[in-house]
Amino acid sequence: MDFGILSVIIFLPMIVAFALLFLPIGAKGTRNAAFLTAVIILMLTGMVYFNFELSGYMQFREHYTWIESYGINYSLGIDGLSLIILMLIATLIPCAYLWLWHGRTKGYWVSMLLIQTGISGTLFSQDLVLFYFFWEAMLLPVFMIIGMFGTGNRVFSTIKITVYTIMGSLFMLISILYIGVAFNNEFGSWSFALNDVIQITTLSRTEELWLFAGFMLAFAIKIPLFPFHTWLLETYSNSPTGGVFLLSSIMAKLGVYGIVRFVMPIFPELYKEFAPLFVWLGIFGLLYFGVAALMQTNIKKMFAYSSASHLGFIVTGIFSLNVYGMTGAAFLIIAHAMATGGLFLLVGKMEYDLGIKAIPALGGIAKKAPVFTVFFAIMLLCIVGLPGTNGFVSEFLIILGAFGFSPVAGVVSALTVLVAASFMFWLFQRAILQENNNDVSQMKDLNFKEIAGMLPLAVLIIAMGIYPDWFFYKIEPTIQHYLVDILEIRTF
Amino acid sequence: MQTPDIIYLLPLLFVGVGAILMMVLSTFKSISIKQGTTVSLIFLFLAFFSNIYNLNSFGDVYSVYPFIEIFNTMIVVDTFSGYFSSILILGGILTLLIGLHYFERHKEFTLEFFSLFLFSVFGMMLLVHANELISAFIALEIASLSLYVMIGFEKVIDRRVEASYRYLVLGSLAGVFFLLGAAFIYTGTQTTIIGEIGDLALNTVESNSMLITLGGTMILITFFFKIAAFPFSNWAIDVYDGAPLPVTAYMAATFKAAIFGFVLRLVLVDFDMIRDFWDDIFIVIIILTLAYGSFLAISQKSLKRMLVASSIVHTGYLLIGFVSISMIGESAASSIIFYLVAYFLSSLGAFGLISYISAEDRLKITYDDFRGFSHIRPYMAAMLSVFMLSLAGIPSTIGFIGKFYIFTGAIESGNSILAIVGIMATFISVYYYFKLIAVMYFYKSSELTDVPPLRGVAPIVIGIIALATIWGGIGNTFVAWFPGVDFLIDMAKLSYESLFIAQ
Repeated sequence: MDFGILSVIIFLPMIVAFALLFLPIGAKGTRNAAFLTAVIILMLTGMVYFNFELSGYMQFREHYTWIESYGINYSLGIDGLSLIILMLIATLIPCAYLWLWHGRTKGYWVSMLLIQTGISGTLFSQDLVLFYFFWEAMLLPVFMIIGMFGTGNRVFSTIKITVYTIMGSLFMLISILYIGVAFNNEFGSWSFALNDVIQITTLSRTEELWLFAGFMLAFAIKIPLFPFHTWLLETYSNSPTGGVFLLSSIMAKLGVYGIVRFVMPIFPELYKEFAPLFVWLGIFGLLYFGVAALMQTNIKKMFAYSSASHLGFIVTGIFSLNVYGMTGAAFLIIAHAMATGGLFLLVGKMEYDLGIKAIPALGGIAKKAPVFTVFFAIMLLCIVGLPGTNGFVSEFLIILGAFGFSPVAGVVSALTVLVAASFMFWLFQRAILQENNNDVSQMKDLNFKEIAGMLPLAVLIIAMGIYPDWFFYKIEPTIQHYLVDILEIRTF
Repeated sequence: MQTPDIIYLLPLLFVGVGAILMMVLSTFKSISIKQGTTVSLIFLFLAFFSNIYNLNSFGDVYSVYPFIEIFNTMIVVDTFSGYFSSILILGGILTLLIGLHYFERHKEFTLEFFSLFLFSVFGMMLLVHANELISAFIALEIASLSLYVMIGFEKVIDRRVEASYRYLVLGSLAGVFFLLGAAFIYTGTQTTIIGEIGDLALNTVESNSMLITLGGTMILITFFFKIAAFPFSNWAIDVYDGAPLPVTAYMAATFKAAIFGFVLRLVLVDFDMIRDFWDDIFIVIIILTLAYGSFLAISQKSLKRMLVASSIVHTGYLLIGFVSISMIGESAASSIIFYLVAYFLSSLGAFGLISYISAEDRLKITYDDFRGFSHIRPYMAAMLSVFMLSLAGIPSTIGFIGKFYIFTGAIESGNSILAIVGIMATFISVYYYFKLIAVMYFYKSSELTDVPPLRGVAPIVIGIIALATIWGGIGNTFVAWFPGVDFLIDMAKLSYESLFIAQ
């Protein structure tokens, strides 16, 4: 793998995007090229997956000097956690493209490609400045895609999400700079590389607290963690399907990823110290957003809250400080991305066909579109955590992890997870199954492309639910590494 | 082999001779604006290349006093002045290329304008070469006087004339402070030569040091006025707004660089004492400048006024670098120089593009005018977005790297609070810069009907600036031989070193 496969995965979509932008190609040609790119990346990712060795350390390292005077490097690498998220992205994106196949403009596809570049870059960066670079750069195509193709008061919601996220990331930037300066003061040279900055010993506790807060703010806004969620509702309900798909299923997860990748190794002590806070914040978010979802009549808003609810649970998992919780969180990242992503695509189609988002105006879809209903049910059951889906495995593990953390947290989360997901059945009954007088005759069942796009997700959800070990073994050494080497906790 | 002294001064001479020649030519009515621009450009290019030659051929770091028997040590030619001269001449060239379209469409512009223009470039270059307070004052006035006239050149428009007068009166008042400051310093130290003031100030009696501090403060007041820092920034928005757009672009991007060039030399070489006295006040001024500029920028409807107001904010960022100087001289100075380049590129591009768009006699360009602009002029919208992103400091543009250096410097020198205030200002700036992008891309229809299509040299030049803006943000990872971020920083560091080898 010495041709820099990670760089190819990052920059191929960008190069294609710019080439398409300047070439006189219509929307269809752009779409085909985008899809082809996504498939190529899926294959490249497959190569990465099979060549990935079973260890908890960074692999596929690439390292070039970028800005020499400040020791900023173009430094890439992946470990088990990045690997499974990479696999997830690479699988989800072409599937989503099949769903977005018709009626999108050129700008839409170009934005999607650029977002993919930003996501992969964020995922591979091993240098704080490089990470920040991609983290911010990712925002621009998102900004574009919501603003140009969204619905409702899209301009306002675009500005809102931009201002929100940039506020978080600017404080992270200050923290990054501060860390760089601290490294320079201690070691006499500049570096922002993750491996270097974890050696810093001179930071006082107050300084560390502020820096920790700076990082956590950026990630908490992105996830979003209670109480930083106020951008969520408008953005999700005004975004176009592709945008909300990426936001909910992938970009939100990058917030969690950022915590594990950067906050944990740089501030291991604070990470352990504040773990109870975040475990409970996560459980609280699970319940709070679950109840909020219950109150919604707009189906997109409902999923927005349900998505936030599960992200809270993921946060509980990563802060539970044991193998179960962490593995469960990693697993839930995957499960939730597939299920929520799938659901947003399905809802997007429903909205497109019927032009309505309100739950009371729906009903009787099961009869009109049986295949649609089957897929809807699978995704839904995965979110609820029915045994046999990967949602069950992951939620079960996180609950175990929470028990390991403290029995009270375990009991509360076990109860909450059921309550928080129960609204799904209610939704399913009212919007899909129940026969009433609403006119849903415009609803079409899935066509071949849509089935082809949804099938891999559904199969993976079930396969991962039945044979979780097939998917665990690549990530296990990484989790061990996190716990034993970085957090210095004895496992088992 | 001894280099003849004249070689060192060639860049200055080319510009000066060009200015005089243009004045002579302006009596011939048969020469068109285009020809006039071409002649001016030829001289500027000659100056630019001879300057590049100087930078290349005298080693990494050099410092010479040309014609020492005539000028004594009043004028210095070093890497620092060479670096700044390149920026200034480039600013002149780019302004002319971008403004050509505008000048041709406005009848009031005659050939005298170009003479004045070259004189102002000459004055600015002299300013960064000046090694003595009085010659600096003369240089400053050459540049300022030319600018006063250039602002009011379209004499049929009241706003222009008003702006010109306002700037003339206030600018002259500020100039007086400079003279008074120089006089105080002379009284205290018996010299006005930069490099001697500092040494003499250290070995002087108590009463004199008071005088020197006072004199330095007076000079700093002029400086604050010219760069529109907080208590002295009220004039900026009306004057810049009243000026013709190419002139606004020129003042915001180029003139600011010249002023900073001179003051950097002064502060780095000589003003240790005054710096100690000033550091705390500086912090207050920075916070107020950032707050005031942000507040102004947020509340503007006109794009030109927003850019002008935001230029006050950028002044604030640059001043953050100044505070860091006392702790970390070299990296702070180079961060200021780098930020100047970053701001120079982005603001020149933004102003230039808007002046190109508004060449057809629209005095106000508001946000609303740009609704749906991307649908009728996708390339222009893309370029404008690049400049906005760079001004907002979003990664992958040179503006990000500039802010990165400035804020790192602030943290390194123990002024984390300034970095946080700067970040807050950046955060606010996201709003008013992104608003333009949002307006351009998120609306379907456009009311801006008489936009000129991409034609002529100006769009190409602006396109090149846009590419440079991006290139400066991505750097030279992949194409190591082409000058990128590291090159600019290294040059800035060499310039800094060259300040100290003559003493």
